[in-house]
Amino acid sequence: MFSYNLKLAMHSFKRAPSLYFLVLLTLSIGVGLLCANLALVSSMAGDPIPEKSDKLFHVSMNTWPDDQPQAEPLHILRYREAMKIVESDIPTHSAVFYASGVYARDSQSKSLQRFDSNVRATTPGFFALTKAPFAYGNGFAKSAGMEVVIGAVLNQKIFAGKNSVGEILELDGELLTIVGVLKPWSLRPLFYHVTEGRAFNLTDDIYAPLETAIDLGWSIHARSSSTVSNTGVQFTRDRDVFYLQAWVELASKAKQQAFQRYLDNYSQTLKNAGEHPLDIMNELRDVNTWLLEQKIVDQKVLAFTLASVLFLCVCVFNASSLLLSRFHSAKFEVGLRRALGASNKQMLMQGITESVVLGLIAGIISLLLSWLFLKLSISFLPDLANIAVLKPKLLLLGMVLALVTSVSSALYPLYRANRYTISAELK
Amino acid sequence: MNIKALFKSLLLRKFTTGLLILQLAITLGLLVNSAILAFDTKEKIAQSTGLDIDNILIMSTHPTSGNYRDLDYYRSIVTEDMVKLRQLSGIKSVSVTNQLPLRSRGMLRAIYDLDNPEQEKDDKYLQDVKYILTEEHLIDVMGLTLLEGRFLNSSDQFDFGSEEKHNIVITESLKRALYGDDSAIGQETNSGFIVGVIKDIILDPTLPSDKQYGLFINTIMEYIYFGRYYAMNVEPGQMESVRAKVSDIILNVQPERDIFKVFTMGEHLKRFYRDDQGLADLFMLLCGLMLFVTAISSYAYSQFHISRQKKFIGIRRALGARKKDVLLYVLTENWLVYGIGCLLGVVVAFGFNILLNQHIVLSKPDLILFLIATCIIFISGTLATWIPANSTSNISPVIATKTV
Repeated sequence: MFSYNLKLAMHSFKRAPSLYFLVLLTLSIGVGLLCANLALVSSMAGDPIPEKSDKLFHVSMNTWPDDQPQAEPLHILRYREAMKIVESDIPTHSAVFYASGVYARDSQSKSLQRFDSNVRATTPGFFALTKAPFAYGNGFAKSAGMEVVIGAVLNQKIFAGKNSVGEILELDGELLTIVGVLKPWSLRPLFYHVTEGRAFNLTDDIYAPLETAIDLGWSIHARSSSTVSNTGVQFTRDRDVFYLQAWVELASKAKQQAFQRYLDNYSQTLKNAGEHPLDIMNELRDVNTWLLEQKIVDQKVLAFTLASVLFLCVCVFNASSLLLSRFHSAKFEVGLRRALGASNKQMLMQGITESVVLGLIAGIISLLLSWLFLKLSISFLPDLANIAVLKPKLLLLGMVLALVTSVSSALYPLYRANRYTISAELK
Repeated sequence: MNIKALFKSLLLRKFTTGLLILQLAITLGLLVNSAILAFDTKEKIAQSTGLDIDNILIMSTHPTSGNYRDLDYYRSIVTEDMVKLRQLSGIKSVSVTNQLPLRSRGMLRAIYDLDNPEQEKDDKYLQDVKYILTEEHLIDVMGLTLLEGRFLNSSDQFDFGSEEKHNIVITESLKRALYGDDSAIGQETNSGFIVGVIKDIILDPTLPSDKQYGLFINTIMEYIYFGRYYAMNVEPGQMESVRAKVSDIILNVQPERDIFKVFTMGEHLKRFYRDDQGLADLFMLLCGLMLFVTAISSYAYSQFHISRQKKFIGIRRALGARKKDVLLYVLTENWLVYGIGCLLGVVVAFGFNILLNQHIVLSKPDLILFLIATCIIFISGTLATWIPANSTSNISPVIATKTV
């Protein structure tokens, strides 16, 4: 029966190719566009580390030293608070870091060409906390030392992707040894640093020990706030300069509460010493809550997604009226088949088969189109370049959408067609 | 022409008519809002910035070598860069600065009058005043207008590490926030003594125009590692030739530098609104697609209608209706549908506008936009229905006799 229906569908396509072409075109443009937008939204709203996103917490504290209105806790911390967090043994892992940048070259290379590299100056806990994937070697064990870990991209640029552990890099005139090389690592969003519009940046090129970076005076490339004049990162350890971000991994609810108490107690000691004029407000936010709070999903993309939903509606309406006219012109045939004893159900099955086939073809075309629309969106909104990927789940969604729209646009025309009677036609 | 009869005829095919009206309404809603987006963006890019926008060239650069960690070396290179750049024909003046106007955030500092430290609590914008490290030539480069006192001069650059209070120049809106209509010259703020006030320029386009708080201080040489931008004022008409040369000039002074970009202030402004422009363009693209789809629908609608009404139209022709009358009849019927669609479209446009406003900022629709969008829909709809309408008028009266 199915193959018979299929044959009928093909027959019907052949009878009115231009009409079916238009139906296919409008449906696949509509689905393709929406799918491309959903791909962007899902990348932006995705969970970058699902296996433990509920155990990783961003630490915000409210330790501003004067009573200038800083109502919200800050996402950046002073060195002294950051060290308090690193000291604690409540978290399974903790990472305290700031973003910087240096120029890198292979110290053995004859070329003087240096590569602009993003630096994460961090405590060693970073690698375990973020599950950074190592290709060669491993992370550094201490917060100080002339050692670095480099990312796959930089390793490709400088060492053509080979195992560069043990090689020595010249970074802004200093020599540091590579102890680890990461595999290609993409985090969408870059959960560990989503502030300052960095949520969709690539992972860093160089991971350097925090104390070393501070000693070398590698400048702060993200937000820093201070109540005193900030003359360089090397002098920040005992000053009121806020620039470090902190993440902790807390294995259980109990640990979470214990760590909250730990932070609050610390703030209380500051208060007792008269260094904490504001209310105590320390916040732990797990990955997804933190991402949501930072509103990283691009509002422009959301706006355009709304528009493409409307567009898809128009496409479905259009397909529906096209199909109606198609069924109308096939009235005689339908009437004849009914007169020969085809039941309502059989007619419906035939119609559905036809629209399913149509939906499948539309689905395939729309996947191609959504890839095209993604490329197009990037050329209009270049900031999205790093997140414009079609994940398998989106491909599936595209297919389902195409099927649903195709079947739904055929529903009313089918209902109408099933009411045609042969007697009316024979007249 | 009998409107009542037309309505009746439309009601005969409620479903297709309803679908088409909905499509038209959505199309109009999208057209109107896309036009708003496009006009808003255009307006933003065309806004007056208070800068000599067409003649300013900027080069952003950063040293790549560790030698620059010796600040005296760094300063000597920058000084030589500026000398060499000034020698280039076509360049009127050169300056160096830590940050550019037309950008959000950046290096900010809280500013208040020393006698009135509570000020910043009443005006939160005072906590985030743009802190511009530069030197004396910036006034010529940017084309700033002095309102009071003087701009920075070379005597404002003190010995490095000196604890002495610096002289500063502030923007007009900052002066108003601090001192109202009084003169600001000689007043002492937490960042130094005010020696001049300049007319407002757009420092951060995301802030209101009367909150363009900025402060200029002659300390860029002391903190030379912040000196990321060379800004140059170029003779009119020389932009392209100067632009092609500047990178090589400073690389000849010292090659171990990364030059990120050489751009005009006009491009800088466009860059700020790049995403707005991109979104507006995407909406325009969608409008094109939507019009295309709606045109197909209009075509299919009248085609379908004709196939069903052949007989009646034939009877009409037999009863004496001329070709012209039939054409007009079909078109009027379609226009009626478009009219209803556009009326409903007004509601959709407002609804969509409100919906979009949850995500982006855009102005409210106005009457002219509705009229233009309605015209576009009528024209494209009429074009799409012309062929079927025309063929309808060719239906021969004989058809009336064919069937019972």
